[in-house]
Amino acid sequence: MFRRKMLILMMSVVIMAGLIAGCSSSSSNKNETTSNGSGNTSGETEAAEKILDIEVWTGNTGFKAVEKGSPVYNFYAELLGVGFISPYVEWNGGTDYLNALNSRIAAGEMPNVFLPYNGIEADLAKNGAIADLTDLLPQYASKLWELIPEEVWNIVKANDPTGQGRIYWVPGIKSYERTTGLIRKDWLDALGLEMPKTQEEYVNVLRAFKEQDPNGNGVADEIPTGGRENARWMDHLFNQYGIAMMEGFPDWDIYDGELTFSAVTQNMKDALAFIAQLYKEGLMDQETFLNDKATWDGKIDSNLVGNYFHWGQGAYEHLEKLELGAGVKAEIAVLPVIEAPGYEGQGFITTKQLGSPEWVVSAQQDEEHLIASLKFLNEIADESKWYDLYMGVEGMHHEVVDGKKVKLPEDKSTQQIGVAPFYAWGSMEFQEQLLLDSASEENKWRYEQSIKNMKELQQYVKVIASDGLPSSIYDGYPDIKNNTLWYEYATKIIIGTYSIDKFDEFVEKWYKSGGDVVTERAREWYATVNQ
Amino acid sequence: MVSLSFGEKVMHTIIIIFLIIVGAIAVAPLISVIAVSFSSRLPVELNEVTLWPKGFTLDSWNYILSRSDLWRSFAVTVCATLTGTALSLLITALTAYPLTKPEFKIRSILMVAIVITMVFKAPLIPYFLTVKAVGLYNNPLVLFVPHILTAFNLIIMRTFFLQFPVELEEAAVVEGAGYFRRLFSLVLPLSKAVLATLGLFYGVTIWNQFQHPLLFVTDPDWFPLQLKIRQYITSDNELPIVGSIAELNYNSRTLRSVTIAFSIIPIIMVYPYLQKYFVKGALLGSVKG
Amino acid sequence: MNKESSSKGLLCNVRRYWPLYLMSIPGIVFFVIFKFIPMGGTVIAFQEYSVFKGILQSQWVGFKNFEILFRSSDFYRIFTNTLILGFLKITIMFAVPIILALLLNEIRRAMLKKTIQTALYIPHFLSWVIIAGITFEIFSLSGIYNTIRDWFGLQPVLLMQQESSFRWIYVFTGIWRDAGWGTIVYLAAISSIDAQIYEAAVIDGASRLKQMVYITFPLLLPTILVLFLLEVGNFMELGFDHVYTLLTPMTYSVGDIIDTYVYRTGIQEARYSFATAVGLFQAVIGFILVMIFNKLSNKVSGEGLW
Repeated sequence: MFRRKMLILMMSVVIMAGLIAGCSSSSSNKNETTSNGSGNTSGETEAAEKILDIEVWTGNTGFKAVEKGSPVYNFYAELLGVGFISPYVEWNGGTDYLNALNSRIAAGEMPNVFLPYNGIEADLAKNGAIADLTDLLPQYASKLWELIPEEVWNIVKANDPTGQGRIYWVPGIKSYERTTGLIRKDWLDALGLEMPKTQEEYVNVLRAFKEQDPNGNGVADEIPTGGRENARWMDHLFNQYGIAMMEGFPDWDIYDGELTFSAVTQNMKDALAFIAQLYKEGLMDQETFLNDKATWDGKIDSNLVGNYFHWGQGAYEHLEKLELGAGVKAEIAVLPVIEAPGYEGQGFITTKQLGSPEWVVSAQQDEEHLIASLKFLNEIADESKWYDLYMGVEGMHHEVVDGKKVKLPEDKSTQQIGVAPFYAWGSMEFQEQLLLDSASEENKWRYEQSIKNMKELQQYVKVIASDGLPSSIYDGYPDIKNNTLWYEYATKIIIGTYSIDKFDEFVEKWYKSGGDVVTERAREWYATVNQ
Repeated sequence: MVSLSFGEKVMHTIIIIFLIIVGAIAVAPLISVIAVSFSSRLPVELNEVTLWPKGFTLDSWNYILSRSDLWRSFAVTVCATLTGTALSLLITALTAYPLTKPEFKIRSILMVAIVITMVFKAPLIPYFLTVKAVGLYNNPLVLFVPHILTAFNLIIMRTFFLQFPVELEEAAVVEGAGYFRRLFSLVLPLSKAVLATLGLFYGVTIWNQFQHPLLFVTDPDWFPLQLKIRQYITSDNELPIVGSIAELNYNSRTLRSVTIAFSIIPIIMVYPYLQKYFVKGALLGSVKG
Repeated sequence: MNKESSSKGLLCNVRRYWPLYLMSIPGIVFFVIFKFIPMGGTVIAFQEYSVFKGILQSQWVGFKNFEILFRSSDFYRIFTNTLILGFLKITIMFAVPIILALLLNEIRRAMLKKTIQTALYIPHFLSWVIIAGITFEIFSLSGIYNTIRDWFGLQPVLLMQQESSFRWIYVFTGIWRDAGWGTIVYLAAISSIDAQIYEAAVIDGASRLKQMVYITFPLLLPTILVLFLLEVGNFMELGFDHVYTLLTPMTYSVGDIIDTYVYRTGIQEARYSFATAVGLFQAVIGFILVMIFNKLSNKVSGEGLW
C-alpha cells in the first residue's frame, strides 16, 4: 500500500517537473526579446526610424516591468524614439538593487543605461565598464548637455575617479531646496503667539504648545517638536547653529576657515547641548529616536505635533489627513531659521546644487546601441516632454476627464515603471505646475499652502562649500561614511544617557578611527577645486 | 485510563492555562496584522489600529484578491511547493538512509562534508554564477531545485532512522530483501512523523522563499508569492507623489497586511492535516518483544 | 592500514554495497553543485575581488581583509556582543522549545493540543520586520508595557532605548517567534516513542512527572543532542534580521554584532571580499566548536554527528 503511494508520488513528481520544464521553454521564448547589444529592431515610427531596444535599470519601488510591446514601451517609442525596456529589479533601499546589478556585471550582462548607486560609478569608470561621456554628450545628447549648468559639469569633471577630468555619469541637479522647518501656524494663532525668531522665543512657543493645549482637545498630548531615528529630520534644531546638515546627515562646510565635518565642531557641541535640554524638558518627542517615517508622520497627522522638519511642498499630504482625521483645517507655515545665542545670523538651511549620479551608460555595447542610449538620455532631458512623461500612459497612469488629463492613483499591480527626469532635474516652476494640476476646487487651499512654503523657504538657503565633494574621500572608512559613531553619540547625548562632555570623546574617536584621513582628503579636494 | 492523582490534576490544569496564555501571546502579532488588513487607510496612518480593525472595510482584501497576477503567483508557488517537497523528501530519504548503515564506508566523511556545507556558506557572486552555469537562471525549476536538500533536514532524518532498532530490518535481510526494498517497504512507512516534519520544513522553505527568486527569476510571470508580495510593499518614499490620493481606502500598509495574511493562511490550513502523523504510537506493534 | 589496501577496501565496499552508493548519488551531486563548487568562491576572502576582473584575475591580498576586521576599533565590541548573544541563543533559546514540547505532550484533548500548537508556530511566518515593529509598539509610550506601568503608578520607560534591556528583548523576541516552530521536531520525536513503554511504566505506578523525566526526556536526548550540535555549528549566526530590526544607535554597544557590522561596512558597500572574509571567520569558529562538542558528545553519550 505504501509502495503504491510512493510510486504514484514519484510519477506525479516527474509529470510536474515535465510540465514546468515544458512551460518554461515556451515562456523563455517570450523572454528572448530583452536584448543587450544584439541589435533587435522592432516597430516602425512614421519616419521609418529604426527603434533600438535598450535595457534601462532605475530604482523601482514595486511597479511593473516594461517589456517589449507593452504600453509604456510603445508610449516611449513614440515619445522618445527608443525601445525602453526595464525589468523589475527590487530596490530595497539600494542593497538588493546593487546585488542584482553586480551579479549581472559579473555575468557580463550590464544593462545599457542604468542608475548607479552608492558609488559604484567610480569602480565602473576605473574599470572602463562605462562610457566616457565628455565628448559624446554634446554630440549626441545636446539637450541634456545644455540642461545641466556648466558649473555642475565642471564639478563632475573635477570628481573624475580616473583623475583625467572626464565625465562618466550624468548627475542630478538640485535647482531648488525642498526641506525646511515647518510649524502649525494655526496653533500660534490660537495661542496668540508670534512666529518665533530668536531661540528664546522659539523655546517659549514650544512650552506654550506643551502646556496650553493648542489642539484644543483638553488633553496634554501635544508634542511640541521632534524628529526621527538616527537624529534625522530634526535639522531645524541644528541649523540654528550654522551646522551643515542634509536631511539629518551632518555634512562638510567651512568652520574656522577650514573645510570640516560639521559633526565635530564647536557648533555641534552647542547644538547638542541645546537639544538635550529640550529633550529633558519634554519639549521634544521622547520617542524621537524610535520613530520611523510612518510613526512620526502618524503623529503629525494625528494633530499632535507643533513643529517638524520636512519638504515644504509636501504639506498638502499632512493637511489632507489632518482634515480627514482630526477635522482640522490646519495652516502649516515655514519656520524661519532661528537665531541661537552666540550664532545670530549664522543659521541656514543647507543645500547643494550637485545631486547624486543619475545615469551611466554601458561601454560594453555596440555603437548603434550606445547612440540609442544617448538618444534616450537626450530625449528625457527635453523639458517639453516632462509633462507627458509625468502623466504616463493613458488608461494606465492617467485618464482624460473633460478633456483634461488627471493622474490616476498609484497602483503597483497595474502600472508600469517609467522615468521621472523632472525629479532629478526639475525646477520649482515645474513642481508648482504639477501641484496646481492635482488640485480640485475644494482642496486647492492645501496645494496653495505647499507652494507658498516651497517658495518661502528659499530665503534661508545656503549652498555649502562641500558641494560636489566626492564620496571617494571615505574609501576604506565605511563607518565614517555611515556616520555610525555620530548616531551613537548624538542620540545618547540627547536622551541624556551621556552627558554633553562625552562630546569631546566622540570627536577624538572620530578622528582616530579614520576621520583625520578623511578630513585631509576633503581639504585636498577643496584646495584643488578652488584654485 | 489510569486516573491522575489530585496533585497531577492541578499540575495539568496549570500547564494548560500556561500554554493557552503562551499561545495567545504568540498569535497576537498575526491578529494585529489581520486587524490592519480590515481597517481603513486613515486610522492605519494615524497608527490607531492595534488588535481590532478600525473603520472596517473589505477594500484592501478586494484589491488584493482581484489581482490576477497574484493568483498566478499563488499557483506557481503551490506547484513549486508540492513538486519541490515531494522531490526533497525522496532525495533526503535516499541520502539519509545509507548514512545510517555502518557498512557504508564513506559515512563519516560524508557527515563531515555535510556539516561543512551547513557551517560554511558560499558568497553571493560565485553562487549566482554557479547556479547560472547549471542553466537555472530565469528557469522556473530554480524555484525548487536549489532547495532539494538541506544539511539540517538530512541530519534530522538520519537521526530518526537511527532510532529504529536493528531488529527491524533483520527479518527483511533474512528474506533477501535489498536496501531499496528495505528503505521503501519498511523504514519509510514507519517514518511518517519525520516525513511529515521535513515535508513541513521543506514546504515552508519553498513557500516562503524570496532571496533565490530575487536573484534568479526575472520573468514576472514566474514570480513566487513572496516576491510578488514584496512588489506591493514600498519603503515609503520621502518625496510625496503628487496625484489624487483621497479616494483610495487602502494604502501600502493595509495591502501589505492582506498579503501577509494571504500567504500564511494556506500553511495554517495544511498543518492540522499533517498533525495526524505526529500521533503517538506510530511504532506500536511493529517490533515484537 | 596502508593506502593501497584502504583504496582496495573502498572499491570492495562499493561493489558489495552498491545500492547504498547509488542511493547517495543524487544527494552528493546536489551538494557538490550547489554547495561545494560555490564554496570555492570563498577564496575571494583572500582577494580584492572585483566583479569586473572575476575571481581568476582579482588581486591576491592574503589576510588583509581579516586584518581590517580585527584591527577595527569596534572589533572587540562586536565580537563580545556576538559571543554573549550566541551563548544566550544556545542556552535559553535552545531549551525553551524542548520544555514547550514536553508540556504540550501532556495535553490530552486533541483539539486543544492542535489549536495551541498551531498558535505557537504562527509567529515563525511573520518576518522580523513585523515582529520588531510590534515589539517597538509594545514598548512605546502608548504601548501595553507602559500602560501597565501606569496602572501601578510607575513612570513610563522606553526599553528599546536602553542598553540594559536589549539582550533580554533579543531573547524574548527570539522565543516569541521561533520557539513554537522549534517544538515540531521534538514532538515528532516524542510521537515515535513506543507507546508500550509508557504503558509498562504506568502499570509500574509511575506518575506523569516520572514518565516525563525517565522516559520521554531520555528518549528525546539523541534528537536534542543532534540539534544542539547543529546549533553550535551556527553559533556565530545570530540571525541578522533579528538583531538588525531591533537595533538602534542607542543600543549599539550591546547589540552591534559581527553580522550587523559587516552589513554596514561590507554588504551595503558591496565589498564582497570583506564580507566573505568575515563570514569565513565566523564559520571557522562555528566549525571548531562543532568538532569540540562532537568529540565531547561521542565521549559522554557514545553518539555524535560523526
